[in-house]
Amino acid sequence: MEVRIEDLVKRFDDVVAVNKVNATFESGKLIALLGPSGCGKSTMLNMLSGIMPVTEGKIYFDDRDVTMLSPDKREVGLVFQNYALYPHMSVLENICFPLKIKRVPKAERIEKAKEYARMVHIDDYLDRLPKELSGGQQQRVAIARALVKRPKLLLLDEPLSNLDAKLRVEMREEIRRIQRESGVTTVFVTHDQEEATSISDYIMLMKLGVKQQFAKTRNLYNDPANLFVADFIGNPTINQLHGIYEKGNFRPDAYENAIPIGRYQIEDGSRVVFASRPESVIVEKKNGKTVMEVEETYVSGKDTLCVLKAGDGRLRAYVDNDSAPQEKDLVSVSFRDRGVFVFNEESGERYYE
Amino acid sequence: MSKKTKRYNGGRDPDEKFETSMIGKIALFLGPFMLGIVIFTIYPFINAFLMSFKENFSILRNTFSGWGLANYRKVLNDPIFLSGLKTTIKYVVIVVPISLIISIVIAVLLNNTRRFKAILQTAYFMPLVTSTAAISLVFRFIFANEGGLINKIITTLGQTQINFLGTNRWSEFVLYIFGIWNILPFTIILLLAGLQNIDPQYYTAAKVDGAKTLDIFTNITVPLLSPTIALVAIVNSISAFKVFDYVFQLYNKPGPGYNLYTIIYYIYEKFGGTKPQYGHAAAASIVLFFIIAVFTLLQRVLQKKTNY
Ligand SMILES: Nc1ncnc2c1ncn2[C@@H]1O[C@H](COP(=O)(O)OP(=O)(O)OP(=O)(O)O)[C@@H](O)[C@H]1O
Ligand SMILES: [Mg+2]
Repeated sequence: MEVRIEDLVKRFDDVVAVNKVNATFESGKLIALLGPSGCGKSTMLNMLSGIMPVTEGKIYFDDRDVTMLSPDKREVGLVFQNYALYPHMSVLENICFPLKIKRVPKAERIEKAKEYARMVHIDDYLDRLPKELSGGQQQRVAIARALVKRPKLLLLDEPLSNLDAKLRVEMREEIRRIQRESGVTTVFVTHDQEEATSISDYIMLMKLGVKQQFAKTRNLYNDPANLFVADFIGNPTINQLHGIYEKGNFRPDAYENAIPIGRYQIEDGSRVVFASRPESVIVEKKNGKTVMEVEETYVSGKDTLCVLKAGDGRLRAYVDNDSAPQEKDLVSVSFRDRGVFVFNEESGERYYE
Repeated sequence: MSKKTKRYNGGRDPDEKFETSMIGKIALFLGPFMLGIVIFTIYPFINAFLMSFKENFSILRNTFSGWGLANYRKVLNDPIFLSGLKTTIKYVVIVVPISLIISIVIAVLLNNTRRFKAILQTAYFMPLVTSTAAISLVFRFIFANEGGLINKIITTLGQTQINFLGTNRWSEFVLYIFGIWNILPFTIILLLAGLQNIDPQYYTAAKVDGAKTLDIFTNITVPLLSPTIALVAIVNSISAFKVFDYVFQLYNKPGPGYNLYTIIYYIYEKFGGTKPQYGHAAAASIVLFFIIAVFTLLQRVLQKKTNY
């Protein structure tokens, strides 16, 4: 099912939790709702599920306007951040509950529930109470409970935040698998950019209730709409140098040499932020170009992360282990064309070539 | 630790033994209370227990013919005691469940209302802070034969008036209403506390799962409230087994036709009157004690079972 939101607004007294958001979630895709704490992710999810009324705007499920529909009529499955499994019901009863409410005959609903329990690999624990399960197991029960009524839309609110690092990665893949198998349109809330990028087809990045960018996951990294997006996505974070744009060159505040960056639609003398992904920084043996000192190096896998001293600032660069410089070395720095962006310093808006 | 010791010792040498000074203080604070318990609860209990086995006991001369089960044999074969037991059990079986059901409904409604909360809080607290003696006066007025509120309404409607307080059948009915009414506030307050402990997220989850109000009430609210319900049911049963004051306040005697004669009434009468029979009274007390003890144990079991 396709989900379309139009000019969605949610206000709490004087707080605008969600501000005029427009988006279309393609059918069968996994969309990550990403953003720092308090940016309105849960609010958005709650409005989609119907447990929170919208202040303004419309929500469409396919072509049906569901804006005023109560949760029980929306056919959505919701997995809460802390799962909210019914503590007095066994795993089986929890999964059965949505069907029981629909007055599905007992034998049939038990069969269905078992089917979904198998799908989330929880079928060995059907008789346990929620308190007798680990966090990861509880989460799987919550997912099964959300899926068993065959929802048109599956909503997950930071479902992995209570799990330890290893289980988190495992469950992430599990959710991906379950989503693929069931083919249900899914919205997954998280504030962890790595989690979002590893799981989703699309990411909607939000800040203070405003949509920053909604795009295919890899485009968010390769083609950020503004400085906030560029900064939020990517680990280590994108390098940022402040300075002035002048005739195809960027003049950093931090050090002398200008960087040729090509023609942008920018007035000469404007203040800009020159941002570069660590893998787009080229580090070479000292030659004629900008020279910097290597401050620290970290080996991670086949690459070495070099922290370079760029005047007052720092620049991170990924270098192949074989050609990695030593600490205290002086190296020359230049930039690739890819993974390099120029933003308005004040508004954070992106400039295009 | 040493800092703490200093403070508790009131500035005396911190090396002085912590425990001795504490024990002294504990004794000082707990003493009067413990003394009261020993004098008014523990000693009488032991005494009553022993008394129940003393045959032909005379409290004035402090003599008895020997130890045995004669008192129990007498009491358990006494038709007056047995009918008292029956009356009491009937009272428990009627008043406790009905008041519980009414309380659950009211508590859930109160828990869901945000408006009028202050007014409602006073409303359901009123009976708790008003003395039952005063309430009984109001009840007597409401159900009075001549000029009573209900009879006025009945006669205005052209029906013949009912002798609520003077007939066996209706006096029983009035007692049950009185008992239910008096038990409501306490029950509602406990249930409200229980309701407040239920995470609202379960309601939200149930709503998303498609549940309507009634589904939520039966599938979520009541089961999650069941530990409190069990507790209240048992506590109310225990106090209902000891019913006496309500009868006395309404009728000044065990009902208009001795029809509301409860176990406590039996004990009360055996202790007093012109020909007191202390042994019988003690035996009846111990029987009641065991009934209540069974309920207390039941509560423990239920509470364990419903502990999520
Ligand atoms: N019931 C409420 N009343 C008033 N303000 C609220 C309410 N719920 C949320 N807010 C505010 O709305 C904003 C968005 O909250 P929301 O819970 O959607 O954030 P979030 O993105 O889910 O954050 P987190 O990652 O911490 O869960 C916050 O500023 C929050 O304080
Ligand atoms: Mg949230």
